[in-house]
Amino acid sequence: MIEIETSPWQAMVLHAERTYPNECCGAMLGRVSGDNKQVVAAIPLANSFSGEQGARYELRPADLLEADRAARARGLDLIGIFHSHPDCDAYFSETDLKHSCPWYSFVVLSVYNGKFDHAKSFLPDPDQTSADDEELKWPKS
Amino acid sequence: MAKIIIPTALRQFVDQHDSVEVTGGTVGEALGQLTAQYPNIKKNLYTEQGKLRSFVNVYVNDEDIRYLDKDATRLEGTEIISIVPSIAGGAVGLAEPETAALSNEEVARYSRHLILPEVGMDGQLKLKQGKVLLIGAGGLGAPLGLYLAAAGVGRIGLVDFDVVDASNLQRQVIHGTSDIGRKKIDSAADRMLEINPNLRVDKFDTGLTSENALNILKDYDVVVDGTDNFPTRYLVNDACVLQKKPNVYGSIFRFEGQATVFAYEDGPCYRCLYPEPPPPGLVPSCAEGGVLGILPGLVGLIQATETVKILLGVGETLKNRLLLYDALNMRFRELRLRRDPDCPVCGTHPTVTKLIDYQEFCGVRPAPAQVAGGDGVIDVTEVKQKLDRGDNFVLIDVREPHEYQIARIPGAKLIPLGELPKHLGELDPNAEYVMHCKTGGRSQKATDLLKQSGFKNVRNMTGGITAWSDKVDPTVPKY
Repeated sequence: MIEIETSPWQAMVLHAERTYPNECCGAMLGRVSGDNKQVVAAIPLANSFSGEQGARYELRPADLLEADRAARARGLDLIGIFHSHPDCDAYFSETDLKHSCPWYSFVVLSVYNGKFDHAKSFLPDPDQTSADDEELKWPKS
Repeated sequence: MAKIIIPTALRQFVDQHDSVEVTGGTVGEALGQLTAQYPNIKKNLYTEQGKLRSFVNVYVNDEDIRYLDKDATRLEGTEIISIVPSIAGGAVGLAEPETAALSNEEVARYSRHLILPEVGMDGQLKLKQGKVLLIGAGGLGAPLGLYLAAAGVGRIGLVDFDVVDASNLQRQVIHGTSDIGRKKIDSAADRMLEINPNLRVDKFDTGLTSENALNILKDYDVVVDGTDNFPTRYLVNDACVLQKKPNVYGSIFRFEGQATVFAYEDGPCYRCLYPEPPPPGLVPSCAEGGVLGILPGLVGLIQATETVKILLGVGETLKNRLLLYDALNMRFRELRLRRDPDCPVCGTHPTVTKLIDYQEFCGVRPAPAQVAGGDGVIDVTEVKQKLDRGDNFVLIDVREPHEYQIARIPGAKLIPLGELPKHLGELDPNAEYVMHCKTGGRSQKATDLLKQSGFKNVRNMTGGITAWSDKVDPTVPKY
């Protein structure tokens, strides 16, 4: 189960809505205890995909390295990656799977017409062949 | 000892350490030590076959080892090694198109290719999987975009920041009259998708710069240079050499064109041919010197032909040969090219190992902000006021006679820049002069010449007759 606290959640939704109609992406920092993950901070990152970003995103390795450093500095772990699906449901696409990494939770935010709609979290396997659903809790406003 | 920084997600496998110090002369040896010391981390980094997992990138200091010597990258012992996953994705709705097979529509569309043994089904799939970057959607980019789209290249990137202007339509046939004022990448992409909706077009609404070039180029197999200036040409060349991508080169001027393939296999690069750029201003651009509208069509299609051959892996390319084309006399010639072992980029001991400042390299300084009425320059509106007042000054037009026939400012005296030195004796060095040309470049040289010759009161009219047409008299045509 992954639970996102209010302030990182607001930052994630804002980043997804502001980046619409393009896909946004970012890193989630927090703590892990067993299967329970707590997200206490979110870092919006640049989508560095070269080309149309309406349905693609790519994280710059340097940004990921920096996010990991930021986590370390705050005594946290980099535990997840989030990105948005503009005008599209929050599922883990073939493209998502093929470019995933099993070390992290992947939270997908569905944004319709510029407004957040729903979200889901996924745990991809090391061979990038399938991803399990992960229970996701976010503050309901 | 080199230090491997452990991502927070993997610290559980290395007794919660932030980093692990290792010895070893190469990255491969250093990682071997890490996995020997902490066997549990191994399956997170390597497949069962012992290869680094596809999502694992290894950086030495700030460099990805894929662009160094991979596992064999040497270590001095002071480096910071970072393990960084590569992460990307996207909504499935518009994800990568199917490229392993042709649809029935595509079989029908490409049937004349499919029955050529040199292309066939395999070749057509290579084109479909091919990714080509066009730098510039202008004279050369126009035929390239049209024919590469039609031929079935699967993905084409377009880099251009310009908008369609009336003066483009004489040669940039990918744009139409109704596209004037639109972004060239939008106009070109619409036309290409109209020809072939199977195409994926990536639009880059920007100039190519040292900052963005490697990131823009990295996803493509072949780069086609359709630029019109030296800084970008050197930038494209160096970026292609650094990323080991073929650079399909073409250039045009007046009635003459050139084409070849640089940085392909073991062939030469642009710097092997031209180690140094010409002095700024020596070689006029098409905007200054003119170009036969048909010329880029032919040169662009030679580039398109070479691009398709490289993707297919058939025939003999222009590698090692510079093709020279003279449209006025309809002659083709070839010059033999060789890779220069001392080339600063692709030679045996390269001195240029990353992208540099190409504006500086080519001696092109951004024009200093010209203040109207300031020292040495004058604004068109002020010239108009002076003419209306009947001020006692001489307005000299330093353009060519055929340009004077197209458009002129009443009262201007025509002395082409090349003729100016021998007419200096006819001019009064104490009189007041305003120099003008088409946009202000040549008249600046004329202004400098007069000042150096002892003329006291000489100013350059900013923006030339083009600015005159914009700000003073719109009935004067722009060309």
